[in-house]
Amino acid sequence: MAVAIRVKAKNKKPVGGVQDPPSSWDNRDRAAAYGLLAPNLILYTVFIVVPVLLALGLSFTSWNLVGAPQWVGLANYKAMVNDPAVPQAIETTMIFLVFGVVPTVVLGLLLAILVNVQFRFVGVVRTLYFVPAVVSFAASAILWQWIYRPGQGFLDYALKQVGIDGPAWLSNTHTALFALDIIAIWLSLPTAILLYLAALQRIPKHVIEAAMLDGAGAFTRLRKIIWPGVRNMTILVVIVAIIAFTNSSFDLVNILTQGGPINATSTLIYYIYYAAFNNVQLGYAAALSVLQIALFAAILGLLALARRFAR
Amino acid sequence: MITLSARIRRGIRIAFIVIVGLILAFPLIYLVFGSLMSDSQLTSFPPAFFPHSIHLGNYSAAWNYMKGRAVLNSVIFTVVTVALQWALCISGGFVLAKLRFRSSNAITVLLGISLFIPAITTLVPTFIVAEKLHMINTYPGLILPIVAQTGFGTLLFRQYLVALPGELIDAARVDGSSWFTILRRVIIPLAAPATGAYVAISVLTAWNMYLWPLVVATSPNVQVMTETLAPLASSEYGQIPENIAFAATALTTLPMVVAFLLAQRSFVRGLSGSGVE
Repeated sequence: MAVAIRVKAKNKKPVGGVQDPPSSWDNRDRAAAYGLLAPNLILYTVFIVVPVLLALGLSFTSWNLVGAPQWVGLANYKAMVNDPAVPQAIETTMIFLVFGVVPTVVLGLLLAILVNVQFRFVGVVRTLYFVPAVVSFAASAILWQWIYRPGQGFLDYALKQVGIDGPAWLSNTHTALFALDIIAIWLSLPTAILLYLAALQRIPKHVIEAAMLDGAGAFTRLRKIIWPGVRNMTILVVIVAIIAFTNSSFDLVNILTQGGPINATSTLIYYIYYAAFNNVQLGYAAALSVLQIALFAAILGLLALARRFAR
Repeated sequence: MITLSARIRRGIRIAFIVIVGLILAFPLIYLVFGSLMSDSQLTSFPPAFFPHSIHLGNYSAAWNYMKGRAVLNSVIFTVVTVALQWALCISGGFVLAKLRFRSSNAITVLLGISLFIPAITTLVPTFIVAEKLHMINTYPGLILPIVAQTGFGTLLFRQYLVALPGELIDAARVDGSSWFTILRRVIIPLAAPATGAYVAISVLTAWNMYLWPLVVATSPNVQVMTETLAPLASSEYGQIPENIAFAATALTTLPMVVAFLLAQRSFVRGLSGSGVE
């Protein structure tokens, strides 16, 4: 993900130089260029471009898989405006994103600062921080439903030690969404820490040491030295986290809560799946997809703009 | 005095780093321990941490539950997907980085757009395309639509190759090498670090993929591990004992943990998009 965003920002002036057509540039060379690119683009067109266009087309139809799609014009979009589940799903998605992405970014930075120190087994210890990145949504779901298990899991056991009776985390309307957020944060933290660590390691050591000698406290150092060094990286961390949380807002929901209890975890992305596969309203699901892409593009577009201006 | 207090503070900091690390890795550590427990120990309260006795039989039971076939399918899916996609991405990235032609920039943007489209939004249309091509419940249907997601990899290789000096290619051109030979002899060896990052991240993505297999591979012949694993989380009273579920989870997760430990450098590069200088 990071790459794509950098490509746009950086490649106005390619280093190393895109090759000018050499004097011997002839039809054979051109054929070779297209030949090397063609398999990539053909597959990409068939399975990515065509489905996106098909989704757009289906959003103007009514279709339940039986027979041919019926053209209904803007009816799906009108229905979307009148469907109370849509604003609710958008709200749920936003809450899930904000309460997932913000802690990921803040904790990611703090933990990166924490582990940005050299000692003998630092590589081994840092592995503990990075290794959750390899866990699948399915496996993390199994692990965490065990930790969350009401009255029996580690979380309730730990809370009991301090005299609190934990709720049924995943089946309580007030906690379910946040319980899913915590799993997604656990999965996303490694990437955030990695990205921040890369930025921190570019801040010269002597700058920090000089500030400490001048008597700058931890907060001043964070504000005056570390933050300017990681500000650009923060936008990238946020973009990567939003993409990760958008994906987890389907996988974790579908595996652990199926949108429940009482729609408390029905994110927009889960609602699309529900409309398509439970209600078999493929036209309506396609219209919801267009809405999702528009929302997603708007959020990421704003962030990409912010990144450009932050430079 | 100053050095002593500085050393103590350093010691406290390192201890804190280790404790936080153990907390973050706790679910995985517990996965290993839990997968070796008896069912009665795993479901006891208060929860036990260390296994009283080692039950390796959990793993063979887990293998049987997943019918081995799902494990094999996950391996086939991952290896074939990554190999094919790598070939497409490195050759595409090479052309976009080093050959100038009219639509080069437009193609780069077109590939980049896909990164901003959540998979779920094109799920139904992709399924329709796969169905028209008679690919439902087949390996090509499972694999090709995922191979087609070349946006990330192509841009990764393009980004890496753009920075390579053009002289190497010029020299090979003077020798009369074809572009394909240059790709094979010059580009692929030089792009080894980018390939490492790409392979690490793509293996991870394919191995952990859930959504597309869920809809396209419903027959046990082509089902992958994540599909057989996910139902174990959705109910508190699963189809199989908890300790077997833990062993099944460990079976799917530990290969990636081991790969991560062996190739941490590539994983770190891949996870940070390798665009981080």
